Amino acid sequence: MYSFQSQIGFPILSVMTFLPTLGGVVMLLFMRGRPRLYKSAALAATAATFVLSLMMLWKFDQYTADFQFIEKVNWIQRIGASYHMGVDGISVLLILLTTLLSLIIIPASWNYIKDRELGFFASFLFLETGMIGTFCARDLLLFYVFWEIMLIPMYFIIGVWGGPRRVYAALKFFLFTMAGSVLMLVAIVGIAYLARPDQYAAPVFDLDQLQHAVFSFPVQMAAFLAFFIAFAIKVPMWPLHTWLPDAHVEAPTAGSVILAGVLLKMGGYGIIRFCIPLFPDAVVTAIPYILILSIIAIIYGALVSLVQKDLKKLVAYSSVSHMGFVTGGIFAFTVIGLEGALLVMFSHGLLTGALFLMVGFMYERLHTREISAMGGLATPFPVMAAFLLFFTLGSLGLPGLSGFVGEFLSLLGLFTYNKAMAVVAAAGVILAAAYLLWMYLRVMFAEVRDQKWFRLSDLSLREIASLAPLAGLAVWVGAYPDTFINIIHPSASHLIDHMSPYLAQHGDFLTRFFASLGGGH
Amino acid sequence: MQHAVVAIVPELMLVAAALVLLLIDPFLPPEGRRGLSWLGIMACLPAAASVWLARSEQFSTFSNGIALDRFTVFFKILLLAVAVLAMLLSEKHLALSGRLLGDYYALILLATVGMMVMASAIDLATFFVGLELMAICSYLLAGFFRGRERSIEASLKYFLTGSFASAILLFGMALLYGLSGSTNYQQISAAVSSGSLDGHVLVIAIVLLLGGFAFKVAAAPFHGWAPDVYQGAPTPAAAFLSVGPKIAAFAAIIKFFTIMLGSEQARWVPLMIAIAIATMLIGATMALLQRDLKRMLAFSSIAHVGYLLLAMIAAGQSHSSFGSSAILFYLAAYAAMNMGAFGVLVFLANSARFNDSLGEMAGLARRFPGAAGVMAVLMFSLAGIPPTAGFLAKFYLFASVVDAGYAWLAVIGVLFSVVSAFYYLRVIVYMYMREPSDEVATAMEPADGRSWDLSLGLGLATAAVIILGVLPAPILNAAQDAVAKIIGS
Repeated sequence: MYSFQSQIGFPILSVMTFLPTLGGVVMLLFMRGRPRLYKSAALAATAATFVLSLMMLWKFDQYTADFQFIEKVNWIQRIGASYHMGVDGISVLLILLTTLLSLIIIPASWNYIKDRELGFFASFLFLETGMIGTFCARDLLLFYVFWEIMLIPMYFIIGVWGGPRRVYAALKFFLFTMAGSVLMLVAIVGIAYLARPDQYAAPVFDLDQLQHAVFSFPVQMAAFLAFFIAFAIKVPMWPLHTWLPDAHVEAPTAGSVILAGVLLKMGGYGIIRFCIPLFPDAVVTAIPYILILSIIAIIYGALVSLVQKDLKKLVAYSSVSHMGFVTGGIFAFTVIGLEGALLVMFSHGLLTGALFLMVGFMYERLHTREISAMGGLATPFPVMAAFLLFFTLGSLGLPGLSGFVGEFLSLLGLFTYNKAMAVVAAAGVILAAAYLLWMYLRVMFAEVRDQKWFRLSDLSLREIASLAPLAGLAVWVGAYPDTFINIIHPSASHLIDHMSPYLAQHGDFLTRFFASLGGGH
Repeated sequence: MQHAVVAIVPELMLVAAALVLLLIDPFLPPEGRRGLSWLGIMACLPAAASVWLARSEQFSTFSNGIALDRFTVFFKILLLAVAVLAMLLSEKHLALSGRLLGDYYALILLATVGMMVMASAIDLATFFVGLELMAICSYLLAGFFRGRERSIEASLKYFLTGSFASAILLFGMALLYGLSGSTNYQQISAAVSSGSLDGHVLVIAIVLLLGGFAFKVAAAPFHGWAPDVYQGAPTPAAAFLSVGPKIAAFAAIIKFFTIMLGSEQARWVPLMIAIAIATMLIGATMALLQRDLKRMLAFSSIAHVGYLLLAMIAAGQSHSSFGSSAILFYLAAYAAMNMGAFGVLVFLANSARFNDSLGEMAGLARRFPGAAGVMAVLMFSLAGIPPTAGFLAKFYLFASVVDAGYAWLAVIGVLFSVVSAFYYLRVIVYMYMREPSDEVATAMEPADGRSWDLSLGLGLATAAVIILGVLPAPILNAAQDAVAKIIGS
């Protein structure tokens, strides 16, 4: 059985997914020892993938929540697994982010890696396949395969090209993620077998069919927990975030950009795509607990960022805080909150990706990331100072830039749900301003620490070229978010519509719960 | 064409080839022995073809002692593939060690015949003959480097524990015979399910059979011999011994416990659960502590036996043949990845006078990028990471366990697979993320270890690992068809 319905005439999702792998294999087989050639090939492959994703966006129908560009082929027929790909607005937005960041990191790492460059660039191409595949998969087993495939290149990126404690960080990253996802695998198998019409039928991995399956509450709760823990580790939610600072600090710049920009989004994406539609009753029960964890993450991440001495760690912990707005926005269960969460995801990918790039550019010049060792950088590096100011302001939520829109909508969603929680979460925004501006103050202003810095060059054209698209998009999202909200709106409101009967059922319980917290609707 | 001979054509071919090997070996000069492995391989290929041609036959023969059905076909082809792979891995290593003899290939072929008989037997006596043929050849293979103390020690340990295990199995089989009055699986099955047998004696028989098989597949608490034997045996022989006998033993375990004792599953399933958990625990935790790669692979193979036993529990419990087919698919995947991993060690021993310690793997990716790449793929597969055979095999196996209503056992199993990921990843850490120490770098002078046979073998194993991981449907269907109608059930 093979079918594909595409408004574009060729199976664009598969081409987009596997083009980077093809590029990586060709590089490994035929371009050994020719750095200029394989770097150009990596650039060409990621650029072509980016162009494909723009074509997809061009032909994407923004007025429906249905999945588009669907491809479906039997894969392992006897166990009911199929190669089923398709995208809705949520996937499209995240795929765009993925292809953009994958394209940007290639020139950004052009001279950064000295050792075994070929493997480095090939790893990122393989990683891109895993990421795009994860956002496209409409079959649980296929999704799991792409989800786990991402681990392998990321493990090598951190472990081979990372900092001094890279082996520890790489193993921790791998084992944390794997521990979460193997439990999800058991849950996947469990629901696939429970969803069969009779015991002789093949299990059901296809999401289109699974969405109509009804599971008993204990099953939903167990499967929800298994899925949610796997996704919460990726998000990462407090208290499962401890792998993140290690991985970020040790990873090479490009690795951090992809990790923060795309891999963290996998968690939120997984919750939206799988947890919520498949286990609605369990999700509704879990709302208050997850909201509380989200708010703890917002405040905790911000407070810990405040005391970081290492610039990269500061940005890493700020991610924990920002991701709290994502889970908070999702579990507020309003269309606005959900759209806010998705915009936070997109904007965090742009801004934090850019911040990690900047930290990398600074490290290449100063060979340190210690905030206390910097100071007065604005004098020798004015262009760098300007860019850092831009992305810092974006990240702390300055209106007009992308960070503000997402966080504002997410808070609005929380506010309609529970005022007290929204107030506490809003304190996270204030704290973000505190740690980011204080960081900027210490790094860029004050007196120049080292006169040698005047002999170093400011940002090169190549570096500016990799930051500029991110800055441009941050302004676009901040100034006219409708472009992006329109893409996700049908899918977001479809999901909330799907959930509303369940929410109504549990409304009483929630009212009581929040009343006991001193809030209320 | 239900002629009795059809059922044993492949066995006859291998025996004939083994005899030819033994006969011509003394007359050949040392250089002339280089092609002997291909004589063995050229016997396996037509044997596999003859199995394939008879794949739709379904009959039993030799006074109901041998069955020819899809189940047998699956196992025979798998075992022949293992034999071919073992011979491909061996040639250069034997030549470099000065032990390139036709005997070695003859032993592999005869052991394979024994395993094929074990898989196709439906009579206790026939089964035991196959078992002993396999076992005796295995002892000899383990001690094939007779000039090395370790090899002789391995052989002796293997022989002592192995014959002990055979005796225990034989005792269990004797009790079954005494209870039922027959050595035929089908008749024993009928007698057991009639419920008229003495329950106490039956329990003793079950315990003895489980104990004997636990010895044979290296399951806890009778796993102790495996690390010493795999470490001491010639590395290519260890590759064969860590895979072949287990495949044959699991063929027998499936038939023993789902056919003969299927109606008594309430008695053996709890025991099997205890053995499986203990085996996974010991395999995974002890492998963490090993610094010698052959010992690490030995404990890792113990852990894999634990997973296989989990599927056996599913096979006992479930109304369907799901668990059994999961075992078959897992064995195919395990054969490819484990033999490949041992094959990389053979390659390194040939090329770099490598003595299997983890420390020597440091910086391997710089010295031998190809070998390191193959090893990395195999390690990810053993750890169960997609897109490799190891992942789909584990997935399918745990699916059978969940389907049989043992979700908690599947959870234990996947948690152990996370633990095991640590020691597989450590090999990759050494290969890719450590620099070789000066001492190691100078100690590892490249020897003239290149061998087309070995490269072909490694290439086949790696290709199998990836193909089974990406497009598993043909093998998975074959495994399901194989267990759908086993003769005797």
